[in-house]
Amino acid sequence: MKELSRREFLEWVGAAGFSAFALSASEAWSLQAIENPLASYPKRDWEKVYRDLWKSDSTFTFLCAPNDTHNCILNAFVRDGVVTRIGPTMKYGEATDLYGSKVSHRWDPRVCQKGLALTRRFYGDRRVRYPMVRKGFKAWVEKGFPREKDGRPPKEYFNRGRDEWLRVTHEQAADMVAAALVNIATTYSGENGQKLLMQQGYEEEIVQATKGAGTQVLKFRGGMPLLGLTRIFGMYRLANSMALLDHKLRGVSPDEALGGRGWDNYSWHTDLPPGHPMVTGQQTVEFDLHAVEQARMVIVWGMNWVTTKMPDTHWLTEARLKGTKVVVIACEYSSTSIKADDAIVVRPGTTPALALGLCNVIMREKLYDADYVRRFTDLPLLVRADNLKLLRAEEVFGDKPAALKNQTKIIGKGDKVPPPGAQTDMLIPEGLREAWGDFVWWNRKTSRPEAISRDQVGKFSPLGDPLLEGAVEVTLKDGKKIACRPIFDVILEYAKHFDPKTTEEITWAPAPAIESLAREIAKVPGTTLFAVGMGPNQFFNNDNKDRTQFLLAALTGNIGKLAGNIGSYAGNYRVAMFNGVPQYINENPFDIELDGAKPARPRQYWRPESAHYYNHEDHPLKMGKTMITGKTHMPTPTKSLWFANANSILGNVKWHYNTVVNVLPKIEMVAVQEWWWSTSCEWADVVLAVDSWAELKHPDMCCSVTNPFLTVFPRTPLERPFETRGDIECLALVGKKLAQRTGDRRFADLWKFVDEGKVEVYLQRILDFSSTTKGYKFSDLEEKAKKGIPALMMTRTNPKAVGYEQVYDSRPWYTKTGRLEFYREEDEFIDAGENLPVHREPIDSTFYEPNVIVAPPHPFIKAKGPEAYGVKKDDLSNEVRQGRNVVKTWEETKKTVHPLAKDGYKFVFHTPKYRHGAHTMPIDTDMVAMLFGPFGDIYRRDKRQPFVAEGYVDIHPDDAKSLGIEDGDYVWIDSDPEDRPFRGWKKNEKDYKFARLLCRARYYPGTPRGITRMWFNMYGATPGSVEGQQSREDGLAKNPRSGYQAMFRSGSHQSATRGWLKPTWMTDSLVRKDLFGHTINKGFLPDVHCPTGAPREAIVKITKAEPGGLNAKGLWRPAALGLRPKYERKGMKEYLAGKFVGGAAPQKGGKK
Amino acid sequence: MARVYNWQLGREMSYWYPERRPKRQFAAVFDTNKCIACQTCTLACKTTWTSGKGQEYMLWNNVETKPYGFYPLGWDLNLLEKLGAQDWDGGQYAGRTIFEAAQPGERVLGWRPEDIDYASPNVGEDDCAGGVEKGAHFTGVHNSWFFYLARMCNHCTYPACLSSCPRSAIYKRPEDGIVLIDQGSCRGYQECVKACPYKKTFFNAMTGTSEKCIACFPKIESGMQPQCFVNCIGKIRFAGWISRPESARADNPIDFLVHVKKVALPLFPQFGLEPNVYYIPPMNVPREFLAQMFGPGVDQALEAYRNAPRDKDLAGLLTLFGSTEAIVAKWKRVEEQVIGYDESGKEIIRVPLREPTHIRQAFDAARGVARTNVS
Repeated sequence: MKELSRREFLEWVGAAGFSAFALSASEAWSLQAIENPLASYPKRDWEKVYRDLWKSDSTFTFLCAPNDTHNCILNAFVRDGVVTRIGPTMKYGEATDLYGSKVSHRWDPRVCQKGLALTRRFYGDRRVRYPMVRKGFKAWVEKGFPREKDGRPPKEYFNRGRDEWLRVTHEQAADMVAAALVNIATTYSGENGQKLLMQQGYEEEIVQATKGAGTQVLKFRGGMPLLGLTRIFGMYRLANSMALLDHKLRGVSPDEALGGRGWDNYSWHTDLPPGHPMVTGQQTVEFDLHAVEQARMVIVWGMNWVTTKMPDTHWLTEARLKGTKVVVIACEYSSTSIKADDAIVVRPGTTPALALGLCNVIMREKLYDADYVRRFTDLPLLVRADNLKLLRAEEVFGDKPAALKNQTKIIGKGDKVPPPGAQTDMLIPEGLREAWGDFVWWNRKTSRPEAISRDQVGKFSPLGDPLLEGAVEVTLKDGKKIACRPIFDVILEYAKHFDPKTTEEITWAPAPAIESLAREIAKVPGTTLFAVGMGPNQFFNNDNKDRTQFLLAALTGNIGKLAGNIGSYAGNYRVAMFNGVPQYINENPFDIELDGAKPARPRQYWRPESAHYYNHEDHPLKMGKTMITGKTHMPTPTKSLWFANANSILGNVKWHYNTVVNVLPKIEMVAVQEWWWSTSCEWADVVLAVDSWAELKHPDMCCSVTNPFLTVFPRTPLERPFETRGDIECLALVGKKLAQRTGDRRFADLWKFVDEGKVEVYLQRILDFSSTTKGYKFSDLEEKAKKGIPALMMTRTNPKAVGYEQVYDSRPWYTKTGRLEFYREEDEFIDAGENLPVHREPIDSTFYEPNVIVAPPHPFIKAKGPEAYGVKKDDLSNEVRQGRNVVKTWEETKKTVHPLAKDGYKFVFHTPKYRHGAHTMPIDTDMVAMLFGPFGDIYRRDKRQPFVAEGYVDIHPDDAKSLGIEDGDYVWIDSDPEDRPFRGWKKNEKDYKFARLLCRARYYPGTPRGITRMWFNMYGATPGSVEGQQSREDGLAKNPRSGYQAMFRSGSHQSATRGWLKPTWMTDSLVRKDLFGHTINKGFLPDVHCPTGAPREAIVKITKAEPGGLNAKGLWRPAALGLRPKYERKGMKEYLAGKFVGGAAPQKGGKK
Repeated sequence: MARVYNWQLGREMSYWYPERRPKRQFAAVFDTNKCIACQTCTLACKTTWTSGKGQEYMLWNNVETKPYGFYPLGWDLNLLEKLGAQDWDGGQYAGRTIFEAAQPGERVLGWRPEDIDYASPNVGEDDCAGGVEKGAHFTGVHNSWFFYLARMCNHCTYPACLSSCPRSAIYKRPEDGIVLIDQGSCRGYQECVKACPYKKTFFNAMTGTSEKCIACFPKIESGMQPQCFVNCIGKIRFAGWISRPESARADNPIDFLVHVKKVALPLFPQFGLEPNVYYIPPMNVPREFLAQMFGPGVDQALEAYRNAPRDKDLAGLLTLFGSTEAIVAKWKRVEEQVIGYDESGKEIIRVPLREPTHIRQAFDAARGVARTNVS
């Protein structure tokens, strides 16, 4: 073998595999009489071929960490320099912490099929082998960035998606990126820059938001940066260094310089549950998944745990085995439902109504945990009936706000704030503390109002017998008498609307199930864990969902306890677990610390921004002429986009086809760091070829929100098979080029330890400054990782349980009242009709009028309707719909219909994630793809198939029949023609051809009537993939120029989706903790208070395209054979009924 | 034809060769209640053994959704239809096995799949019987149901493949009972493909031979569990050695589950092969279907499984699943811990019934840092 070149060996691995051994073994064959092969066999030397095949030369470990939260250190088995096999290390059970705490081998194995398939990805045909530049972009750069009068680059250079690709060196690629950054920033700097932007048609507010800094139109995104603290988070470090460029271009002082803009992640992915900070002030509450074995009951709610938390599903099944009751609420009979003691099927997008229905039973029957309600919630606090604001103590008693002492410090102007990891107390700016004041509750014993400060929570709560139900009149200091009601009472009145029968009508959950579940949760407070998935979170009403679910959990004492808590599961996001990260990303580029033994001096020059505005056609939300997007949220125009570790920002972006057709042409550079040619690469200008996890030469680090491990990406001994560099090297190289172009060497110095091969300096700084890791030495962690062993995060508890400190240390929540807040008094919420936790119908995925607030007439709901914004009440167009605050009772709502119903758009279409991919990773690997759904065929007997597997829609068999669609047919799926698949499709046949969704239909009996589903994970069609399918003899949907492989003939699941902006996601007033540490502030914060998009909503029309049989003839074969739902042949019916055996009567003690 | 004893049928039956049992028999228990159909087992097998030309379609190990999933298409249904409805008489099988139902001149009742039957290897994924119309509430045995069935070669005591091979190129290793197709001797007649009721032998058109699961014998030979076991993240699998019922030992994990607790059952025992992969049946599925698939022991098995919250031995042993790569020959529970030993009695694994909880000090004075969950 040794004399084979690597290339030859790769071919050998693929082509010969096992068969070469088998053939050679057969030479020794000679016939012998064999008496009984059960007993003995004469010649067994041939068995050696399998023993040989099993052998490997060496092994090494690497960390596999897509955005699935599992972070598995894997063993790679190497033969002749090639990774031929991957497996688990089986060493998670050896993990310890700094204090000697240990975990068990029940954590092993940690691996999955996607990780095992990486062998075929490291060497796969779509591997990005070297840097690539789009031909037109290269010409634009080389011609010195010619521009039209209004600043736009000439269109001829921007034939994205259809252009040729050119191979370049890393030096060349980095230099082009650097040159483009400088040119774009220069173009849009100063007054002239702003003028050009106005000429190009951007709204004034967002042009003003640049403050004249050209660097502010440069957007950077290190996707899911928790998954690579240095190499991915480095993108923000680079954005920070753009302040050097602004300093040079505008000649401003470092104090005034502005860096680039960095895009959000957790909120961009619609993973952020935006109502969590509305209740707690903290980004998200959750618990490590292994906590379930401590709970009496687990409610898995809108979460397909079995398919998305695969290595941690055994905790759920083992908990059940040992007696934990498992309840699964889903909009189908899912793969998690099968593991449930109670499985409830509901209508998608109705979670707030269901939670309110459960709360109603508990409140009505007084089953709530009154002690918890008194100590930890705002429910006893009084609200004024006149202005709907919380009654302040100052208004009643005239006292100044109390001095706060409970683990809290007030920070005045000029006070030095310790770095986040060194903060212990909550830090509240003086101004905010004064504005909040203190609050009032009504003491039933004394029949008097009493003041309460935010200190007085938990064991410090003075509430003995507060009024919860009823109204009181409170005399203010000035003698005025004001009608007030406790929040509990205000909500109770609202929740009454959701009696079991009404709740059943809205949610489809049977009324008896609602009542029994409510009573079961309330039975033993603090013993139920709610695991909430991204299903309900991807609906427009997601903050309503959170607020109502928290209400349910708070009423039953289930927040902040090890066995009773709420968790939201989507994405691996909580960068705050390393609250020393600012040491790295915000190192002051004007004052760089070049001594590796010393800490950096952070200063943030970059500005965060929600990528949802880019997705929303680069503009904020207006209602009539009123700007709804808050000032603190205001985006700038996007003229350059550079991202790493993210296909979701472009390739698999919600409303993808609108983004590439209508948004992308306004962006002047798209640079992508990738190791696999994704859809994003298809639409990019520059693709920087980076190392896969198996090839990392610079170590890195991450942790997880669902498990307790601190995991390191170790440096690996594997030789790079291709011309790739580490992500962080790409950043450093661009830094070097910027230094050359600007003459400012600080651009390069910023990456000194990358050049020296010592990124552990940065990692150690992060460890030292993070409260959860201080004490660890990076070199120790890496040595362990090389052996396959992770460490444990030094959080307060294992399993982590957010809220633990609040419950057990009586530490206030990060809210105004220090309590869990169910009432939102801010104007934005009152205007939205959401000062109470309400139910809104989904914004598109409903059979009724979209986005209606379902409520009875209620004196505390005073929503600001469309007319108040100068908008017609019946205007349901998609833009207006987002800011529409229309209140209807359920009786009224159920008589309405979706505006497109009359045109045949009558199916809810949702796009959840599935077991075969972590996002798009690595579902286009043949071995994984062939198992993805029912249409896998590794030999592609039907040449219409875009790949060895393809996208499909799951539809109820009776719905399909009503449309004349057979199981396995190809169908067209169209969503709202106003703007999907992209605005202007009617006049753009060229792009419509690849954008309209064409896929298979599957009869899927587990989904309710009217509800259709398509998995999120498959790669969509591009101009090149459609061209490939039409021009290639084999019919593969593969771009002849790039090798990109689509899994759809045209369009994708993202043909039907779009981004949506909800006003309550964009306030300037919401109080919440800062990202890192314990400082409290208000308004926009990326990944905390920020739009989330609602990408799971769509109402669609489905029409038959072609028959599903081989080559478009007749029925798809499994249906024709009578093996499919609704097509069952006689034997299949008997099989389903178990009729092939008789007499197997229940034996002793067995029950039917 | 010889008369052999098949304990799963509670009677003697006909078989091509006389009864000869290996020194010890490789066996496994799969807990279907824990299977998540992640296909990690499938990929572990495929990336290890079948990534060559001619092997593309082959899944020595696969996971399918029952009742609508089949790999290859209709594998069990086709045979059940051929065999017709058969009866159990209590614990004894009163019907005909596939050896007994063979056509004259044939050794086994079987059928040979067409190439295209191996397309759609995950057909039926997550498709349920019954179905949903609108909202629903299922408890106990669900009215709508499906479950995942992970399948590998059963390394049967009476393999149909072995008995059908006209060249006697298939044998059972006396040291561990693993069934192999001699790649030197096989000439690709595909009688085994036709005979195996589980359709776990595969023809390779490139080599002209048939191939099958080898139970990763190179690993077994060094005391390790096969790839599809070690990579099982649902932790549903446990490999070991099974005794005959009369010589069962409670400290042997497989014996304990199969013979003592009777919680794990063979797959289609009525076919007569005495298969050696045992399944804990799923709790959500109607018993008629389960009895058809796993035999009359389903009620007792489910009762034992449902009693696990009160049966620490059973819960404990099931917790040991998947926690070590080594084969556990003996086990015991000591209060809240379960311990596994190798053949020599050396401890190789110890796990708690419940994972420990760590509550750290709120402030680490030595390092001057607060250890919080919210950070």
